[in-house]
Amino acid sequence: MQTPLALLQPAHGAARRPGFIGWLLIAPLIAWLVAFVVIPALILLVYSFCQRDELGELVFSFSLENYWRVFGYVHDESGAFAWDPTYLQIFGRSLGCAGLTTILCVLIGYPVAWTLGRAPDSRRNLLLTLVMIPFWTSFLIRTYAWIIILSENGLLNGLLQYSRLISEPFPMLYTPGAVIVGLVYSYLPFMILPIYGSVEKLDNSIVEAALDLGAGPLQAFLNVILPLTRPGVLAGILLVFIPAMGMFAISDLMGGKRVPLIGNVIQDQFSGQARDWPFGSALGMSVVVLFSIAFWLGTRRQPES
Amino acid sequence: MVELRNVTKKFGNFHAIRGVDLNVRAGEFLTLLGPSGCGKTTLLRMISGFDAPTEGSVWLGGEDVTHLPPYRRNVNQVFQSYALFPHLTVEENIGFGLRMQKLPRLEIAGRVQSAIALVSLQGLEARKPGQLSGGQRQRVALARALICQPKVLLLDEPLSALDAKLRHQMQGELKRLQKMLGITFVFVTHDQEEALTMSDRIAVVNQGRIEQLGDSAAIYHAPQTAFVANFIGRANILEANAVGVEGGFIRLRIASGVEVLVPNPNPSPTTSRLVVSIRPEKIHLQSQRPTQENVFEAVVEEELFKGPTHQLEIKTASGLSLSVMAASQSIMQTAFHKGDRVWCAVHPNDIVILRAD
Amino acid sequence: MKTTRHTFLLTLAIAVLALPAMAAPKKKVLNLFCWSEYVPDSVIKGFTKETGIKVNVENYASNEEMLSKLLVAGSKYDLIQPSEYTIEALAKANKLETLDLSRIPNFKNIGAPFKSLPHDPDNKFSVPWMTGSVGIVINTRKVKDEIKGYADVFSGKYKNRIVVLDDNREMVSWALATLGLGVNDITSENLAKVKPILQGWIPQIKVYNSDSPKTPLANGDVDLGIVWSGEAAILIKEHGEKFKYVLPENAHMFIDSLAIPKGAPNADAAHQFIDYILRPEVSKIISENFPYTNPNMEARKLLPEAQLKNTASYPAGDPKLDTFKDIGKVTKEIDKLVTDLKNK
Ligand SMILES: Nc1ncnc2c1ncn2[C@@H]1O[C@H](COP(=O)(O)OP(=O)(O)O)[C@@H](O)[C@H]1O
Ligand SMILES: [Mg+2]
Repeated sequence: MQTPLALLQPAHGAARRPGFIGWLLIAPLIAWLVAFVVIPALILLVYSFCQRDELGELVFSFSLENYWRVFGYVHDESGAFAWDPTYLQIFGRSLGCAGLTTILCVLIGYPVAWTLGRAPDSRRNLLLTLVMIPFWTSFLIRTYAWIIILSENGLLNGLLQYSRLISEPFPMLYTPGAVIVGLVYSYLPFMILPIYGSVEKLDNSIVEAALDLGAGPLQAFLNVILPLTRPGVLAGILLVFIPAMGMFAISDLMGGKRVPLIGNVIQDQFSGQARDWPFGSALGMSVVVLFSIAFWLGTRRQPES
Repeated sequence: MVELRNVTKKFGNFHAIRGVDLNVRAGEFLTLLGPSGCGKTTLLRMISGFDAPTEGSVWLGGEDVTHLPPYRRNVNQVFQSYALFPHLTVEENIGFGLRMQKLPRLEIAGRVQSAIALVSLQGLEARKPGQLSGGQRQRVALARALICQPKVLLLDEPLSALDAKLRHQMQGELKRLQKMLGITFVFVTHDQEEALTMSDRIAVVNQGRIEQLGDSAAIYHAPQTAFVANFIGRANILEANAVGVEGGFIRLRIASGVEVLVPNPNPSPTTSRLVVSIRPEKIHLQSQRPTQENVFEAVVEEELFKGPTHQLEIKTASGLSLSVMAASQSIMQTAFHKGDRVWCAVHPNDIVILRAD
Repeated sequence: MKTTRHTFLLTLAIAVLALPAMAAPKKKVLNLFCWSEYVPDSVIKGFTKETGIKVNVENYASNEEMLSKLLVAGSKYDLIQPSEYTIEALAKANKLETLDLSRIPNFKNIGAPFKSLPHDPDNKFSVPWMTGSVGIVINTRKVKDEIKGYADVFSGKYKNRIVVLDDNREMVSWALATLGLGVNDITSENLAKVKPILQGWIPQIKVYNSDSPKTPLANGDVDLGIVWSGEAAILIKEHGEKFKYVLPENAHMFIDSLAIPKGAPNADAAHQFIDYILRPEVSKIISENFPYTNPNMEARKLLPEAQLKNTASYPAGDPKLDTFKDIGKVTKEIDKLVTDLKNK
């Protein structure tokens, strides 16, 4: 099985160790990783074992309390453990939401990426530009545009009423559906681009060979095209699923913030009302650990070659 | 077995194939021979079903398949770049077609084993294409196509990526397989030698047309057009005027004054202005005037040593320039040198009147 | 090649522009840490023009965000803009400088109802910026019943047509009000009483929004809401009769103030700024941009009739309203209560 990691390696896997120049060249990357990934993660780790005081300042003391809370054990009044799966439920809901978003992105993104990758060169650049145009405006502006489209006095309801398909405005904004629409819209390019990358690399004669050997279009897709574009799909899934899991702005703005998602809860711990950095850190660390496990499971089976 | 009827293929405004008729007989080894870009691949793709003809129809075993998709045609193709499935092992690659037919696993395994034996790939079953040499990949591609027991096997320049030695070996093997299995082969190449050694018949393709269709000997010895004459081997293409008929012969005056006799073809040419072809190796040089027809005198202008052959450029007194090829003599006694006066003789049967285009 | 030259010119331009900034002698500055969209640009420009003090503005979206950054960044800020309960918490933790009122002569312009309040009884730490209430906005085209209090909003008739502030303490305070309890009567016992009420309310709410609760109201996605009075004032200003503001029984108000954090490097400039915005003509500009209740009585005199009549900004009779007190660790309990209920 190919893995997204394989994308980072030379095609023929000649695992050469970087020489001095090599290290020099990747030094900025390493510095960047240390400064913005490793150190913050370590800080989070330390915080997650601390407590907060009344004002919200950190109290350095070692305690597993925050992790107990994440995984559903809280102290009740008498000091005994009580089972309270609030955060696990929120976690589960976020997983479902991010999962659905990812599935929809694959289902919509794959055909688009395929069309892009197989389009004649002349049209391909135009189509690619169209995919990337949304990035030219800020994320918030795009989200507000969705509010304008989906609200009850908005464009879509106006259009439907004008064309007499509905007589009363239909509530679309501030529904779970709106959140999914917003998430899929925002993350679709992150699915399309990596899949496009592997579709473009796919030699057309290999697809033709499959058809030639009697595979119908569906069989050819399942037996040849999908396995050969899997690295792109996996990369797309990572690029969509992980940020969708942490996203809070879209569920706030388009979902009305009705049901908490893990992103909302974490954000609330850091700059919202709860202001419990240690607990937010514990939540964050739990997410990181969960992703790491999932990633490890997903990439465990390395190709023998 | 395969029939193209008045097939035309246009890409946009570009005519890739212009009104081709072709009938491939069952069990024969037919080669499409032509320079790069002449339309060979396009012809194959219309037989396999990847391109649809703009006009005309494609027939397979007496059935019109013009509108059938590739996976419904009982033809298989060996692709120019092999197009092996990189994610599958040798075994899985070869068994692919049978798996698509949903055959029982045991049967697949058995047939894969014999296909592997057929192309001598034993021991490599578990390798991925990336771990094979060019020749091995070639065999996998061949086995993968043959295992489907196609009526017709299409091979698009299958040997062009191999080095010369391997290519010769594979040529022999392909020919042997074809004879053994009795499958119709449509083989594409731009290498005239390859075509001549392997084919039962050769269709010479030029600019989207079939210029000539015939067995190797006919294509070589009796080219019908200047293109064929030039593309297969070398030829002196000369303009001539028919100046008279003598028995079964026509007397031709070649532009610069040399007169020769050629057999009068049937039907006779309708115009007196003709184009003829004389192969360089068919011009025999002697130091004494020989006693036969079609003899003239010339001077050696240039000599080129080419290994097995010796090529000379000669010029007659009347100004006719000709290329002549002679088998190389030993070092000690090279027959003719620059400046030598020589006598040239050409057998009337070796002067071919070409079709005027 | 064009692009390379472009880049080069751009770099050069930036370098040239940056030079004077680097070379110039140290200018006086003020590091202002304030709410987003709360301090008009013109006010800042006016201040700089008059005093020559450069103002560096940094924004936040909630008291809590401000607290987080303040506690981490230490003495980076000269002036912050906390609400009353945050002032109290900061003062308790000894995180605020004492103000020198002798250097803020315009403090006299603040009206009596806005001085010496429980969160800062001696006016030692804070000067009110703007105040407002939390109340009910009604789309009168859609809602025909009379709405007097929070309980009317959650009668069950307006399920999925309600926007509320995304603020757990606020929600608890509304539920307390329906029980006749004070907004600061937050004990475990009272929270237990509040729980079933909120349990009934939460499924009826369509949108939680603290930043711009007017948006779903204006877009017709909801018909009524419990929002900041300033948001209601903007709706009334833009849509007129269509929206109505109701101050419920036992309503409360918030007071956004200016305060100087402990160890502020430019406390002088901060004092100057406070006094500057207390000038009636400057305060008027703030009111024009953000139609909350202006505690500056002299500035009110300069306001147009229409604005004074906007009941969301200036409720009839100037009722005396409660303010939030700091409740310390109970925040965590409130948070858990509401998160639990939302999660159901
Ligand atoms: N899909 C296509 N679109 C446009 N032109 C094509 C296409 N395929 C082939 N051609 C043109 O048709 C001609 C014949 O191509 P091809 O059959 O591949 O030649 P070859 O004899 O080398 O196999 C070439 O000039 C090629 O450029
Ligand atoms: Mg070709």
